[in-house]
Amino acid sequence: MQPERPISPSSLSVKDLRWQILWDKETCTLCGKCTAVCPVNAIELGVFRKRLIEPPVGFLEPPGNITKSYYGVRQKTDPAYACVGCAMCNMVCPNNAIAPMRADEVDKLRFHLDRGGQPRRRGGRRNVPGVLLDRLKFIRISMLTDPALDAGRHEFELRTLLGRVLPPEENLQHIREHGWIPPVREIYPLVIGGMSFGALSPNMWEGLQMGVAYLNEELGMPVRMSTGEGGCPPRLLRSRFLKYVILQIASGYFGWDEILHAIPEMKEDPCAIEIKYGQGAKPGDGGLLMWYKVNRLIAAIRGVPAGVSLPSPPTHQTQYSIEESVAKMIQSMSMAWGFRVPVYPKISGTSTALAVLNNLTRNPYAAGLAIDGEDGGTGAAYNVSMNHMGHPIASNIRDAYLTLVKLGMQNQLPLFAGGGVGKTGNLAANAAALIMLGASGIQTGKYIMQAAAGCLGSESDRCNICNIGLCPKGITAQDPRLYRRLNVDDVAQRVVDVFLSFDTELKKIVAPLGRSTSLPIGMSDALGVDDYRTAERLSIKYVV
Amino acid sequence: MDDPKQSGSKAVHVISGKRGDERVRSRILEEEVQEAVAQGHRRLQIEAYGQHGIGGRLWRAGREAVSIRITGHPGQRVGSMGFPHTAIEVLGPVSDDVGWLNAGAEIVVHGNAGNGAANAMSQGRILVGGNIGARGMTMTKHNPRFSAPELWVLGSAGDYFGEFMAGGIAVICGHEAQTPENVLGHRPLVGMVGGQVFFRGPHGGFSQADARLAPIGEADWDWLLAHLKIFLKKIGRSELWRVFAEREHWQLLVARKPNEKAGRATRSIAAFHREVWDADLGPGGLIGDLTRIDRSAIPLIVTGSLRRFVPVWENQKYAAPCEASCPTGIPVQRRWQLIREGRVDEAVDLALAYTPFPAAVCGYLCPNLCMQSCTRGTAAMAPVDTTRIGQASIRAKLPELPPLSGRRTAVIGGGPAGLSVAWQLRLCGHEAVVYELAGRLGGKFTRVIPESRIPREVIEIELGRVKEVVPHVYLQQPLAREDVSRLREDFDFVVIATGAQKPRMLPIPGIERAVAALDFLEAAKAGTAACGKRVVVIGAGNVGCDAATEARRFGAEDILLLDVQQPASFGRERQAAEAAGARFRWPVVTREITAAGLTLADGEDIAADTIIVSIGDVPDLSFLPEGVAAERGFVKVDADHRTSDPKVFAIGDVVRPGLLTEAIGAGRRVAQSICDESDGRTPAPFRRQMIEKRRVTLEYFDPRITVFSDVHQCGSQCLSCGACRDCGVCVAICPPGAIRRNELGGKNYEYAVNENLCIGCGFCAGACPCGVWNLEENYPLE
Repeated sequence: MQPERPISPSSLSVKDLRWQILWDKETCTLCGKCTAVCPVNAIELGVFRKRLIEPPVGFLEPPGNITKSYYGVRQKTDPAYACVGCAMCNMVCPNNAIAPMRADEVDKLRFHLDRGGQPRRRGGRRNVPGVLLDRLKFIRISMLTDPALDAGRHEFELRTLLGRVLPPEENLQHIREHGWIPPVREIYPLVIGGMSFGALSPNMWEGLQMGVAYLNEELGMPVRMSTGEGGCPPRLLRSRFLKYVILQIASGYFGWDEILHAIPEMKEDPCAIEIKYGQGAKPGDGGLLMWYKVNRLIAAIRGVPAGVSLPSPPTHQTQYSIEESVAKMIQSMSMAWGFRVPVYPKISGTSTALAVLNNLTRNPYAAGLAIDGEDGGTGAAYNVSMNHMGHPIASNIRDAYLTLVKLGMQNQLPLFAGGGVGKTGNLAANAAALIMLGASGIQTGKYIMQAAAGCLGSESDRCNICNIGLCPKGITAQDPRLYRRLNVDDVAQRVVDVFLSFDTELKKIVAPLGRSTSLPIGMSDALGVDDYRTAERLSIKYVV
Repeated sequence: MDDPKQSGSKAVHVISGKRGDERVRSRILEEEVQEAVAQGHRRLQIEAYGQHGIGGRLWRAGREAVSIRITGHPGQRVGSMGFPHTAIEVLGPVSDDVGWLNAGAEIVVHGNAGNGAANAMSQGRILVGGNIGARGMTMTKHNPRFSAPELWVLGSAGDYFGEFMAGGIAVICGHEAQTPENVLGHRPLVGMVGGQVFFRGPHGGFSQADARLAPIGEADWDWLLAHLKIFLKKIGRSELWRVFAEREHWQLLVARKPNEKAGRATRSIAAFHREVWDADLGPGGLIGDLTRIDRSAIPLIVTGSLRRFVPVWENQKYAAPCEASCPTGIPVQRRWQLIREGRVDEAVDLALAYTPFPAAVCGYLCPNLCMQSCTRGTAAMAPVDTTRIGQASIRAKLPELPPLSGRRTAVIGGGPAGLSVAWQLRLCGHEAVVYELAGRLGGKFTRVIPESRIPREVIEIELGRVKEVVPHVYLQQPLAREDVSRLREDFDFVVIATGAQKPRMLPIPGIERAVAALDFLEAAKAGTAACGKRVVVIGAGNVGCDAATEARRFGAEDILLLDVQQPASFGRERQAAEAAGARFRWPVVTREITAAGLTLADGEDIAADTIIVSIGDVPDLSFLPEGVAAERGFVKVDADHRTSDPKVFAIGDVVRPGLLTEAIGAGRRVAQSICDESDGRTPAPFRRQMIEKRRVTLEYFDPRITVFSDVHQCGSQCLSCGACRDCGVCVAICPPGAIRRNELGGKNYEYAVNENLCIGCGFCAGACPCGVWNLEENYPLE
């Protein structure tokens, strides 16, 4: 900006910005790659003026005054073009001459990201470093008390059940009387949580699905993936791979018209139906796919016209109470597949989770309950929703499990936990901790984005532009110019790598507990934490 | 399988594991065995009652052979830590871990062995005349200092056979196997890293990751055959040798080497994609039915249609701020460009296409909005001086006039507005007839504006030029309403440009003692003005300033300008008044004019000899024909200066008081409307959109240049906003060399991008001094 121009309250200097571009004139070759790749046009070629004043020794001549101009990379200070810190400039720079640096103090930019009265929204990162789950330790190393196993060489059947498991006597009675037995799926305990086709790019989504199919068919790992709310491509609906898919239905009901039309042609039943009531990282905030992401492809899959914004309301409009929601939705979805497919609700972590759970225990068709804690998150939402709303998963899942124990139903209604699992990289440890707190299985989304596709986000508000269609890695972009940066095969390969390494790590955790065929669900005597109040709250061991 | 050296006592020393009815503790039995060996016994028979570890650790015999026959029921770990030269023969079955950590003993078992047979063995051999339990031959090693350990099993192995096996040889004969369908048990050889397993009979799979089947070589086979004979002899089953000697019944498993383990024997993702995924879903995979768009991977830096942004050479798409802010619409920037190109005459002549008064207005009388809006001003740099080229325009040459079309327009008023429209109409080939009330053309130019502001000859020359273009002028033509109505009938269009002739006067007592500024200036211009020493000007606008300046010329010594608000005067008029010593006072309200001067509302008296009132002029609209509406004393017009009568236009001060350039611009605009309408053209927009100033680069220019020596320096320092200056910076900066300059014939050229080279970095837009290059989003792909 020209210093002589008038300023406005939102006239910021580079120093005021959250991310500051460090550019080195010496090493820069002016190759143009950084400005070409910058997703938000935060940098441009700048022309700079430089004066050289050379006072002559002895004043024998008049002082020299030379003005020259030169070129360099300049950062824009307009909040609309503020650097997001993705560091793609650094990735393409042949000489490491440019990189964004986080401001050394609280940035001023944050006070100016509400142009036109529109509060800041961002792409699904909570930006809270650290997570309680990382602090939970597995303290039961039962080398001699239980037959300890070797994670590397013993055989493990790390499977969990998704579906309503009847008590044995009831089950026998049903068999005797040819009654209905609820469908139960034996699946891998780590489920890829719901990220829609639309929120994710076609290449990302296909890569995930193909990786899941590979894990199932080539490696025998029954991994499942939720579609998120955005429908499911017609070909997938009509393929055998559908059995690896959990179809999600949410308040916008996008894509369900296409799904229903596919039912008569389905070769396989889907793994399950997930009814989404809430997303942990942005509870109470609906989904919104902006019109510029709704291209012909997305529109076809969702069954809507192209180029319109697609809001999912925060609530299902025809449901007015827990009783009604649960009964009506679960029944409807069960009926669609002749009660052959498990149907369960997914709610955001909340202090009212037990009310939902209690209700489900009385509903014979409820196949489980998924609770999504506040942490992690992949969906775009308002800052305020992400920063200030939500319930941590640990105590929520623990309370739910202990409630089931009280009712004697802990083996009947599986709980699935999600929300920040693996957000610092400790996927298996976080997952195992939640399992020992009472979860039958784990849902993870963000870790997958990060590990399977190289998402640049971090817990320091880096990148975080999933919501505006400019994902520099092509994970959440719908523009082929961006999403073609992502190779479908590479994503699939990374999904496979992630699950294989997760599997080994999970074995490393459960083997010393002597578990090889049943997960240590609710095995809380194996959990310890170095904080007394946390230990009390979670009914686990206090260890120091 | 050499027999150990036989020496020492040949007598068999019997030790019972029972003393009377009491079983001897393992510790006691061990002490007794060790003691016997120490005493020289080399043939021991032990009646076992479940004691642990019988037969191991007999190093006290040194290199002498020791043989141990075990009857009864030995406990776990028979022969554990067995030493070379120890030979143990168990006459029945053994419990778990026989030969555990065996360091050289030979152990013959005439029956089955329990779990963990040979676990951790690294030397010696164990010969089992039956089956073994789970985890046999696990964690065995081969110490290269000694020969490899061996485990021989007549029957089958239990589950998890050979786990972690790191060396040694196991031979599973599969005879009368406990599990005949699978002689190696469940999940054998997990973690095997060394050694060999010969087996005979079916197996149920083994750890493919760790072991592999290997052909049995000649040496191996010879060894096996020879040692089988010994094994069978030792377990007393020599009759089986012929049965076992069928080479095709045997298989050999060996450990995979580390480099063989690296690759999992699974399908590659690419193959899965092709052979499974696409094969099932169809070509194009998941969404091949919905889109044909190529989704193959692309690099981060791309060219052609894959670029997210593309550069566009927007030469002269936008107007420079000078042009955009000029009410007349003179392309000032274009004139400087012509000068840069050495075409000074063209630059000078160009103005006449826009105004008949380029010298008088641009050079002297205009507040030069072009300079006020000059992009250089955004960096507090001196604007390019338009007055220089304005003044030079005195020698501008007329363009050749087109032949007359026959269309005629009557222009009422021969001031700047009227002459502008008449001039423009004639340049378009239409005839204009001017009716002027006064005795000469020029309006305010000739009658009011003080000569201190502009040399008389400038106006004379420019009016002379006008007369060449607009020959049909009727002077001293007071027109009444019916005259104007008649003109409306006789001509195709009528343009009213009569200006504001009636001075506004204050409604206060004694106003008749005051003189109107317009009258005073007219008299001054004519040289007939008179004023006293003390002059008060009521109304301190620019006209008031002119009056003050002229009053000075006519002898005033003390000049005071009053205003009810902060004076609106600015620019040269204000500077001239201040130079004449005029003082400004505000806010003051005049209550009365008296013989002595005037009295303010607060009662203050100000002495004055001459009082000039300069609070604006209003038009005389008495001649307006029916159908031409007025509003608040001015003619009402629309945005195109058309009055409520579509054949009648009105421009200049008769519409609203304004600058000369505004009046001239309005004339030009009306002429354009009339020409468009006459020629049946769709009216073109009067001016181009102004370029965003931020696109223009100031850093190429020296901010220390504050005055310009001549038009050439002006030209060089003009930023050429929005118009290519042909500097070639874009060609130089373009990283992949994608920009080229193409000659288009004559003086025309263009800069063009080779899209197969361009990476869309926008460097051209960043470097362009003129803001011509723009980076636009590429067209949507899907």
